[in-house]
Parts: sequence; C-alpha cells; structure tokens
Amino acid sequence: MGVEGKNIQRDITSALFLLPMVIAFLFTILIPFAVGVFYTFTDWTGLRYTEIVGLQNYATIFRQNDYVYSLIITVVFTLLSMLLVNVASFALALLCTSDIRVNNFCRASFFMPNMIGGLVLGYVWQFVFNQALTPFVFEKTMLSDPNLALFAIVIVFTWQYAGYIMMIYITGLQTIPEAIIEASGIDGASAARTLFKVKIPLIANTFTVCVFLTLVNSFKIFDLNFALTSGAPARIVGGRPVSSTEFLALNIYQTSIGRNLFALGQAKAVIFFILLAAVALTQVWISKKSEVEL
Amino acid sequence: MHKTRNFFLTVIGLIWAIIVLSPFYLVVVNSSKKAVDITLNPFALPDGLGQFAENLSNVIGNPNFSFYSSLTWSALVTVVTLTLLILLSSMAAWVLCRNKTWWSSMLFMMFIATMIIPFQAVMLPLLTVFRTIQEITGIQMLQSFWGLIFAYMGFGAPLTIFVLHGFIKNIPFELEQSASIDGCSPAGTFFRIIFPLLRPVQVTLLILNGIWIWNDFLLPLIMLGLSGRVKTLPVAVQSLYGTYIRQWDLILTAAFLAMIPAVTLFIFAQKYIIKGMVEGAIKG
Amino acid sequence: MKMKRFLAILSAAALCLSIFAACGGSSPAAGESAPAAPAQDSGAAAAPADTPAAAEGAIRLLNGKIEIDGALKGFAEGYQERTGQEVVIESLGGGMDIFAQIMSYNAAGNMPDIFKTVPEGIFAELELDLTGQPWLDYTDMALVRDGKVVGAPYAIEGIGLIYNAEILEKAGIDPDTLTNVAAQRAAFEKLDGMKEELGLQAVISAAAESGNMGWATGLHLMSSYLAMGVDRSDKRIINLLNAGELDTERFSKFADYIEILFSYADQNVLLSGNYDDQVGLYAQGKTAFLCQGNWVDPSLEAHGVTFRSGLLPYAFLDNDTPGMTADPPDFWAVHNGGSNIDAALAFLADILIGEEGQRMFVQDAGAISVFSNCPYIPEMPISAELFVKSQNYPTYAWDWLLFQEALALDVTGKVFELFAKGDIDKQQFIDMMASEINIFMNQ
Repeated sequence: MGVEGKNIQRDITSALFLLPMVIAFLFTILIPFAVGVFYTFTDWTGLRYTEIVGLQNYATIFRQNDYVYSLIITVVFTLLSMLLVNVASFALALLCTSDIRVNNFCRASFFMPNMIGGLVLGYVWQFVFNQALTPFVFEKTMLSDPNLALFAIVIVFTWQYAGYIMMIYITGLQTIPEAIIEASGIDGASAARTLFKVKIPLIANTFTVCVFLTLVNSFKIFDLNFALTSGAPARIVGGRPVSSTEFLALNIYQTSIGRNLFALGQAKAVIFFILLAAVALTQVWISKKSEVEL
Repeated sequence: MHKTRNFFLTVIGLIWAIIVLSPFYLVVVNSSKKAVDITLNPFALPDGLGQFAENLSNVIGNPNFSFYSSLTWSALVTVVTLTLLILLSSMAAWVLCRNKTWWSSMLFMMFIATMIIPFQAVMLPLLTVFRTIQEITGIQMLQSFWGLIFAYMGFGAPLTIFVLHGFIKNIPFELEQSASIDGCSPAGTFFRIIFPLLRPVQVTLLILNGIWIWNDFLLPLIMLGLSGRVKTLPVAVQSLYGTYIRQWDLILTAAFLAMIPAVTLFIFAQKYIIKGMVEGAIKG
Repeated sequence: MKMKRFLAILSAAALCLSIFAACGGSSPAAGESAPAAPAQDSGAAAAPADTPAAAEGAIRLLNGKIEIDGALKGFAEGYQERTGQEVVIESLGGGMDIFAQIMSYNAAGNMPDIFKTVPEGIFAELELDLTGQPWLDYTDMALVRDGKVVGAPYAIEGIGLIYNAEILEKAGIDPDTLTNVAAQRAAFEKLDGMKEELGLQAVISAAAESGNMGWATGLHLMSSYLAMGVDRSDKRIINLLNAGELDTERFSKFADYIEILFSYADQNVLLSGNYDDQVGLYAQGKTAFLCQGNWVDPSLEAHGVTFRSGLLPYAFLDNDTPGMTADPPDFWAVHNGGSNIDAALAFLADILIGEEGQRMFVQDAGAISVFSNCPYIPEMPISAELFVKSQNYPTYAWDWLLFQEALALDVTGKVFELFAKGDIDKQQFIDMMASEINIFMNQ
C-alpha cells in the first residue's frame, strides 16, 4: 500500500470514527441551540411564535437589574468555587494516590456526595444549615443572610464537586509513569520538589481540563441552587429587592419557566453562552500556552 | 519519616472523609423513620430497623412507583448509554486528537463550546427537532428508549470527548507510529494499541457519566412523558413530591436505594483506575 | 480545497460503512476491549418495544395535584369497567413545573386530552370551548375567559389562619368572634401573655422565606389584600393591581395586619422555615395559629394530631369579614387539538357531576365539591369548617389567580421577606410594594 493509499484509509477511518458522535451532537445540541437562538428574535411563548421582534428581547434584558445582579454574583461564586474546588480536589487526589492504606476508602467517601442529587441534596443541607449549624456555630442560619448564603452554596458545591474533579485529577496522576517518580526520588528530590517540578508539569493537560470543567460548571450551577435556596434570601440593591442567590442559570429558568417569558429567557441563555464561551475559551487558550511552556 | 508522613496523611484522610460523609447520616437514619418523626427530630437515631423495612415495602410495593420496572429501565438506559458513549467517544476523541487539521480543531472547539449551553436553553427546541426527525424519517425519537439513548449520547459527548482528548495527548505518538509501520490499519492501531490504554480514563468517565445519567430527571421526563412504558427511577421518585406534602420517609428510602447500585458500581470500578495504568504499556 | 476533500471523504465514508463493519470484525481487539458491549446491545434491543403505553383511543389526563393521584386512578379504573373507555391518569409531583411539562408535551406533539390550565391564559390556544357542558348547570366557578368557558373546576380550597381549638378554648377565646382586626389582635396579645401556661413557643406559625415559601406570602397572604370582604364580582382592586397600582389606604391596613402577624410569629420558622417546619411546629401544639389553608388536613393527620383545628379569615379590616377566601385552585381544560374530544368531554361530565366521581373527590381525595348536586360533605376538620363557612357566608375570590404568578416570584415574595426580616419598616414595605408592582406591570 502506498503512502497515498494509507492517507485515504486513514481519512476514511477518521470520518467513520467521528460520524456517530457528530450526528448525535448535531441533533441534540447544535441544531436545537440554533433553533433556540432563532426564537430569541421572535415573540416565542413556549408554544409558538407569531412575529419577528428583532433585538427587542436583548434590549429588555439590560433594562432589568436582575440579570446584571445575577451575572455579578455568578462571577463571584465562580471565582470562589474554582479556587476552592481545584485546590481541594487536587489535594484529595494526591492523598488518594499516595500509598496510605485507606486510600480506597477515602476515594469512595470523597466521591459519595455525587451519588445524591437535586431535591434530596437541598433537603439534607437545609437541615444542616438551619438545624445542625444553627444555633451552635452560627447565631442565625447562614441561609437567611445574603452574603453567608452565597458561601453556603460555595461550601455545598465544593463538598459535592471536589470529589468529582478529584476523579479526573487521579486519572491524570495515574498517567505519570512510576519510573519517573522513582527516578526523582533517587535523585534525592524532596516530595514538594517532585510535586511541583515533576508531577504538576506532567499533568498540565489535566489541569486544563479540570479548571475548565470547574469554571463551566460553577457558572452553570442550577440544581443545587434551586434545591438549596431557590434564590432566597432577598436583599435590597439600589433600593430595589433582588433574590440574593439567584445565579444566572436559575435566573434563566425563572424567566422562562417561572414567568413564562420564553423568548426573553432564551435571549438570556444566548448572552450567557457568549459570555461563558469567551471566558472559557480564553482560559483554555492560556492553559494550552502554558502547557507548552512547562 | 515515611511512616510518620503516612500516619499523618491517614488521619487527615479519615477526618476529611467523616466530614464529607456526615450529611449522609441524615439520609441513612431518616430512611428508617416515619415521616412525622423525620420532621420532629431529624437528627435522632431511629427506634430500630422495623420502620426501614416498612418504608422499603412502601416504596417497592407502591403500584404508581413500579419500583422494579423503573429500576430496570434506569439500569438499561445507563448501561446502554455508557457502553455506546464511551466506545464512540473514544474513537472520536482519538481522531480529534491525532488529526491536526483546521476542521478537526474547529470540531473539537465546538464540542467544548457546547458544554457551556445551559440545558434549559435547548430543552423545548430539542423536542421540536426530534419531532421533526420523527415526522420526516419515521424513526421514533420521542417516547422511545433509543431516542433517549441518542439524546444522552449528544449531551454526554462534549465532556467525554474533552476528557479523553486530554488523556490521549499524553500517550506517546511513537507507539502508534511503530504499530503503523508494523502494518496495522488505522482502525487496528486504535483498537489494539490505544483503546486498551484508555481503560483508566474510560472507567473514570463511566463513573462520572453513570452518576449523571442515573440521577438525571429532566431529560427522561420531557423525552418520555409520564405515561409511557419507559420510566426511569428519578421520574418515578418525583411522584412522592406533592404540591405541599413531601413524603420524606419514602423519598429518603428511595434515595438510599438508588444510591446502592451507584456506590457498588463505583467501588467495583475504581480498582480499574489504578490497575489499568500500572499494567499499561506506557512504561515499556 | 481541504474542505472539499473533507466532504469527499465524508461521502466516501458513508458508502464504506459496510466495508468498515467487516474491517472492525477482523480486528480481534475491538470486541475484547469494549467489555460486554455486544451482549448488552442485543439484550436491550429485545426489551424495549418503543411504543407509548397508552393504547389508541385511551384518553390521558394530566393532573397537577399528585396528592389525589391515587383517587383519580381508582376512579379511572372503575370508569373503564363501566364504559369500556380507558383513561390514563398522569400526575406530576413537585420538582418540575407542570407548565413546563405541558410546553414539553406540546413541543413533542404528545398533548394529553385533559390538562391543568390557569386563568392567566398561557395555554389559551390549546383550550377547547366548554360552553354548554352539562356540569355547568351545577356550578358558577368554571374558568371563563373572553366569554368562553375554558376550564372545569373540581374542588375549592380556602386560605386562612388555622387555629388550634383546644388552645383557644383554654385561653377563653371564642374563634367565631375573630372576624375583624381588633378581635384578632386582642387574641394574639392575650395568647402571647399566656404562652408558658399553654405550652406555646410562639402564637403563630408563619413562613416568609422568599425562595421556597414565596407563594405562601406573595400569593396567599396577598390574596386577602385583593379580595377580603370584597364581592366576588367586584374586580376593582385586582384590576388596579394589574394596572400597576395599589389601593394605598387598603394596603396600609393590610400592612398593619401583616406587621402584627409577623411580630407574633415564631421567628426561626418565619425567616428560614419551609413548609414541613411550619406545619410541624403547629402540629406539635407549639403555636395556636398556622398561616396556610385547608390542604394541611392530611399533613396534620400524618402528624397524629389529636386537637381539633378550624379556619379563620385573615381579617385585616375593621369591619367583620367572616367569609373565607376560597376558590378552585385548579382547572381542567380539554385539548382542542386532541383526537378523543368527545370521549374526554364524556369523561369530564361523569367525573364532575356523576355520583361516583363526586364521592371519589370528597371521600377519597378529601376535596370540597364545587357542584351544587354533590351530596357529600368533607370529613377532615379544616375542610369541614371551610365547607360550612362557604355555605353560611360569602366567599371571597382568589383574585391572585388573575395576576401573573410571576409577580410573587419577582416582587411580592421578596418584599414580604424583607419586611419579615426587619430590613424595611412598615412604610418602606408599603412604598416598596407599590413601586415594585408598578415597575413590574409596566415593563
């Protein structure tokens, strides 16, 4: 077989390997999203649309203060949880890949919070905040103070998500050939030095993946937000009441489904997408660059 | 010194594990209580396991809940989706990683970008699109088992491909080159050389996607409806949430029951995350 | 150039599918590396038949009240035995908005024949005109929009102040006198002074957290402002509100009353309690009053409550208002695009005014009938009292059903919470409510 033949064979294989996922992806996400974007230029009610309204929905978004407020607290939340989740999950991953005897038990325990979801999660944590930590640790429940409620969500998010991201860090750490670690041990490098000079550079890819996932999923937080606070408590901003913990995804949900303003909710989702895409792709780009440098 | 360090790490690990696990105390003890006792004192220990047995039989015996059928459907949906998703995503990720053309990077970027789309934004259009496909091709996409699997493949693709892509990049390209020189076809190279090496990350993705599909509520609800033959466990559990009354005794028992297969799978699967790599060929 | 090549490859690839299948088979590693894939595939393929369960000709009813699911299913079974018509009851519990589910069904082309609808008119285009249906002879509570009957009621519910009759008796308070603001205020004050001897933690169990309980304040409490003491046909206040205005004089009376309620309420439950906490506190006999409605009957029964409970109006006016704010919480519409319209209408008539249907609603579902030919009387204590009061006094409408539910989500619930927390005083409460409603309605 000539070089040309090999190339064609390779291209055919590539196409066939890609085809199933591309088709699934096209019909479940890409086309529906395109349809959704189209709806933002109409008066869509969730049932039908009758006319094209141009950019009216987008103009409305920025006339209301709730979206901007949600955007700000979502950014604050994302920064906090990105930091906490990644530090915690990487530390846990190191712990679980060390040669201590209980590492299997630890790994299972740390991952456990992902086994329950939605309303049960909200239910359990409402008890923890309202009845276990109050009045022993806090005088008033964290969930009734606008600032503390945000931290409460950060805590629960980290509790759940650190175990998830830890799994990916563990997978990454496992790819480091043992010979390399052993070699650096023989060279007399300290544990810290091995960590920063050998392990971390070798799994730079994994960091990119994990930071990206935390960024995206903190920004998209919904289930936990919905189950734990549903936006409460209320607070006054600029003389007007706002839901202090209504993050963007919940704000979009409440707009579409709670208030039946489907076209407006859809427009909010499009802006959400553009904002997050810009941030996330920049992050990936920067990480890729530093991966090369490492 | 190594011993002291390990002792220290063990203690930290165990303390942290206890902190992380403590909220589950509420799930476990309250699944053995009556609804009233849960409201009155959620932290108290149950009187005994008798009430757990009663809650259990109430959950399993509830005709609307159809526990065994929902459990079977949930298991089928999860297993079939995972098998297809992991296999096909590995193939796609490998191509996207090794193929250094502009369209391959663009496709990869598109996969990543769609992770950003909030589900609510595609929920209703998704149904319209599937309905259109159904009308044009006659393939049953809605209220259908395979339609749901197809949708899960689409929604699972971005994360799965993204993680696999990062992992494949770490595999030395020389391995493939030597196989190719030995006369292996590209497909053969992938299945013989690469695929086995992916096992640890595949197991990780199996767990991550498995948890998501197992607990997912919204997609099966809107795709399958409430009166179809196919009903998954989370959709069945929602029937315990009333407008006002939440039957916490049964909800927590159901949550407890649903956790058991997930935890079992996890404990069983996690061994492979470690083993796969130690046995792997990268070292050689 | 490259794009062209890519397209060419894609089409070639499609043609080569069968060849590839053969190639894949020849690679022994493939089967082994994908553990158990073939086995599971064939297993699954055998199981699902991919057809909806409901047979052709069956009618489907989407019920939004999961509590009555069992009763409806029991009725449907009997109906099929009597008439041969299959009826599939679908009930949606909490955790998912029923309106989103109706939208989903509509988008999927899978609309049920009978579904829960709302006065607001979100689903107007799906509703069949029910004018002339036989059950209309027995009720005047049907949902009418633009001169057309579009929704069938099946029960009424009442909002109000639930009281513990034993505690009131011990304190020497006659509940029948608590029908104006002065009397209620005096009663709260008296009970507050006797907390210890009565074993009370607080006088009232109310919840004002806006995230989970916004409906209880923003819609239910607010309903008294809209309708208390107002004739059912008088829509002045709700029309004013829909135009973005408050009747300031009436609202400040209302604010006085809310201030009293909140000040005598258990503060923990008020600020962070959910429905379970709120009802649980009352059910343990730790408060004399509970701000909810007759739907708590089953919850109290589940708590094993032995004391008798009754229902009072939120009487915030100086004059006596002995009647309750009560209306149908749910309406059933018939889908105008359905293929079984006649069967659905026949079923509706049978379940609403037929003997067995009325028995089922009152006895099995614990509902209060809205039909004058219904011989059954509710048995549970609060519902029974509501039934008696609705026979003896005028009832006041649930006019909040006429404003967008979103108002509670966006505005009223939050303002109530801020007031409960003390972040704003009474005057600010009044001003903020007025200005926020104005902004909401004019945007």
